[in-house]
Amino acid sequence: MSWLSRLFGSKAAPVVLSPERLERLERWRQLPDADLERSHFQTRYVVVDVESSGLNMVKDRLISIGAVAVVNGLIDTQDAFEVILKQDVVSDTENILLHGIGGSAQREGMEPEDALLLFLDYIGKSPLVAYHAVFDHSMIARAMEKYLGYKFEPQWLDLAWIMPELFQEKIDTNVALDSWLNLFDIENIQRHNAVSDCYATAKLLQVAIARAGDRGAECPARVMEIERVRRWLRRSN
Amino acid sequence: MSTNATQMLVSATMEFLRRHSPFDRMETPALRFLAERAKLAYYHKDAAILTPDMGVARTFYIMQRGKVVARQAGEVNVTEYNAMTLGPGECFPIGAVTAQRASTNGYTAIEDVFCYQLSADDFFEVMRMSSVFNLFCTQYIASLLNQSRQQLQVQFAQRAAEQQSLNTSLSALVKREPVSVRPETPLRQVLEAMGQQRLGSMIVTDEENKPVGIFTQSDVLHRVVLAGIALEEPISKVMSKGPHTLHDTVYAYDAALAMAMHGIRHVLVVDAEGRLKGVISERDLFTLQRVGLRQIRQSVETAPDLETLLQTSQDVRQLAVNMLAQGVGAEQVTQFISALNDTITRRVLELNLDKHDLYGVEWAWLSFGSEGREEQTFSTDQDNGIIYLCPDFMDKEQLKMRLLEFAQDMNSDLDKCGFPLCTGNIMAGNPELCLTLEEWEEKFTNWVRRPDPTALLNATIFFDFRTLYGNPSLGERLRKWLLSLTVANPSFLKMMALNALSVEPPLGKIRDFVTDLDPEHPGTIDLKKYGARLFVDVARIYALAAGLHNTNTVQRLRHCTKRLGMSNDDMSALIDSFNFIQLLRLRHQHLESEAGHAGDNRIHPDKLNELDRRILKESFRQVRKIQTRLKLDYQV
Repeated sequence: MSWLSRLFGSKAAPVVLSPERLERLERWRQLPDADLERSHFQTRYVVVDVESSGLNMVKDRLISIGAVAVVNGLIDTQDAFEVILKQDVVSDTENILLHGIGGSAQREGMEPEDALLLFLDYIGKSPLVAYHAVFDHSMIARAMEKYLGYKFEPQWLDLAWIMPELFQEKIDTNVALDSWLNLFDIENIQRHNAVSDCYATAKLLQVAIARAGDRGAECPARVMEIERVRRWLRRSN
Repeated sequence: MSTNATQMLVSATMEFLRRHSPFDRMETPALRFLAERAKLAYYHKDAAILTPDMGVARTFYIMQRGKVVARQAGEVNVTEYNAMTLGPGECFPIGAVTAQRASTNGYTAIEDVFCYQLSADDFFEVMRMSSVFNLFCTQYIASLLNQSRQQLQVQFAQRAAEQQSLNTSLSALVKREPVSVRPETPLRQVLEAMGQQRLGSMIVTDEENKPVGIFTQSDVLHRVVLAGIALEEPISKVMSKGPHTLHDTVYAYDAALAMAMHGIRHVLVVDAEGRLKGVISERDLFTLQRVGLRQIRQSVETAPDLETLLQTSQDVRQLAVNMLAQGVGAEQVTQFISALNDTITRRVLELNLDKHDLYGVEWAWLSFGSEGREEQTFSTDQDNGIIYLCPDFMDKEQLKMRLLEFAQDMNSDLDKCGFPLCTGNIMAGNPELCLTLEEWEEKFTNWVRRPDPTALLNATIFFDFRTLYGNPSLGERLRKWLLSLTVANPSFLKMMALNALSVEPPLGKIRDFVTDLDPEHPGTIDLKKYGARLFVDVARIYALAAGLHNTNTVQRLRHCTKRLGMSNDDMSALIDSFNFIQLLRLRHQHLESEAGHAGDNRIHPDKLNELDRRILKESFRQVRKIQTRLKLDYQV
């Protein structure tokens, strides 16, 4: 497939959703936005992690989404999410070994449209959190565009930027997630499992909001500002 | 929401919990219920997690990562004494949530902490669902101690596979209906019955079937044949009166202890009304035992020389090991060792009395220190002395010389029997410790009146004296003198308290234990110096203040319960803690000596299993509590 056809592909075939699905999507869009000025301890954050057929944000396919919520500062295992998107083409063996979602599990996944709608229902309008959020966002947004014909533009907090700003005395640069997990002695139950990665990242979020609160950043909006400032400073350097 | 994701996280939580007591034994449905409802929280270093002013405790915390320090709120000096650290798997505040009251402790994170939080409602539901968890919460310390004892049993089980349990109640051991006769029954009839039914003994009971006497096979020779008693005489004329009885609810080791202490071969089992239920003989208790009490005591009593006694003192150790293996508690084991060591010492005394003529002298053999308290462990050196009276008509110097010669022979003979000489020369052969009653009284008086460091040290050894042989009235008179002194001299007791408080339990503020107190043995804790001694010292002070005659630490503490205004549960927790430390010492000394090292009291806390570590920690907290109490009582 040439880059040209990919560029125009989505425009060439506009998405047609069933009325039922369209209604679900519309219902989600009508939800009121989250109040980002409320305290961390009155906020529901959703930590998101995706597994894909590879690391190419343009080319690779979204295979699964995992999510764990941090509600009022606490991780509640009842408030966790995982969905596997049905794949027409199974990812290669090396990739399967990485995330452990086998060929049959990929083929027997949920219809992508339903999987994405289910995910929207789960997150509501909660602020989303990820480590290296640009990847998770791109994978989900591309799938949303492809299957739902919807431009997904939620609020993200990226711990890869926020952590080094809050803990400059420890690590003052963008590093891999594992460095932070080691630093805070956070165990990852099953590395590269979306839910397990989310759980570990959720614990990191707990550490982050505790520190942010001490620094006067007592709500999601302030933490987002911290992230913006750091990105701006690093770029202008 | 998504069941898959939740299930995975719940399983991971369960897996974590299963690595810690009591969750490792918890019923799966209850554990799952707990894991499903527990929410994970994070507290950064120095964050206050729970404080008394937060009111009724509505959340139960289970540590996942990091460390929390708990400090008792209240007066400043109490706080300093009551800090303890909690690590992964430990829970708080058990008491406050259970009782639905405010926590008495403040809990602060001293490292970054992740912990599971369970609402009080869910906590009670788990208590309802799980008998294991329920027991854990209501019998916090007691349940830990039991587990440890069970583990200990497993540890020794292989060595003791062929042995029956001494933890059986006597009612279960009594196998057949006892045969008994009335006191007026003629001897001939009794002997015929014993011959026909192959009985080793005959019990004599009154009309209510209560035992009044016992007659055994071995009595036949001395009391009947050699004494020339006619067979028409009633049995009451030759029986041993007032036989030793025990209730059928007590345990086999109580019977064994009674046999060891009183030198008897049969114990009569009676019901609550005192009616005869059966007979327990040594044979019943130790049929399966390689080294039995019977063999040991028989060989002690008939030992012709010191070599035999040396063998016997080694058998005592083996018997104690067997008892440990059977799950007999430290209190009983140390009493056993003391009782059998007493028997050996008495035999050595008898052997020496054949060589030394002390006829007509009023004297007694005293034991001091752990021997005096009946708390001997495997490694025991000699602590003894002599007390005597010197009538006017005797030559004072000459009498003392006679006693000293005797005592010095005793000391060297005991050394040959496995009781090493005392390096501090606390032995009867030391002229300073072979004294008349008046001299002892003067010595004690001086120590109490002038409590310098040496006097205080001496008090901790000699005031725990016990009469082991000879005229017991001498020891009783000395005890009365001592108690009249101590009760009347609170300033002396205050000095004793100061001395006792100079050593604190080795609880660390950050790490669990302080293990660097002895530079020559880093990583270890001396359980005698920093463990048992702390309990012993406190118990001694309260006993001397109360005028108690007891020397045994557990007995002293039990008698002081009311006086200290403590509940029975609190006192049991304290005593259990002391016994646990003694148990660790015994186990350690046994394991060490088998490997060929000299038995010492230094344990490596890192080498203990998690459970024992936690109980040890709890035991230190208990002694810290009673030390705090002593501190307040004596204002030091």
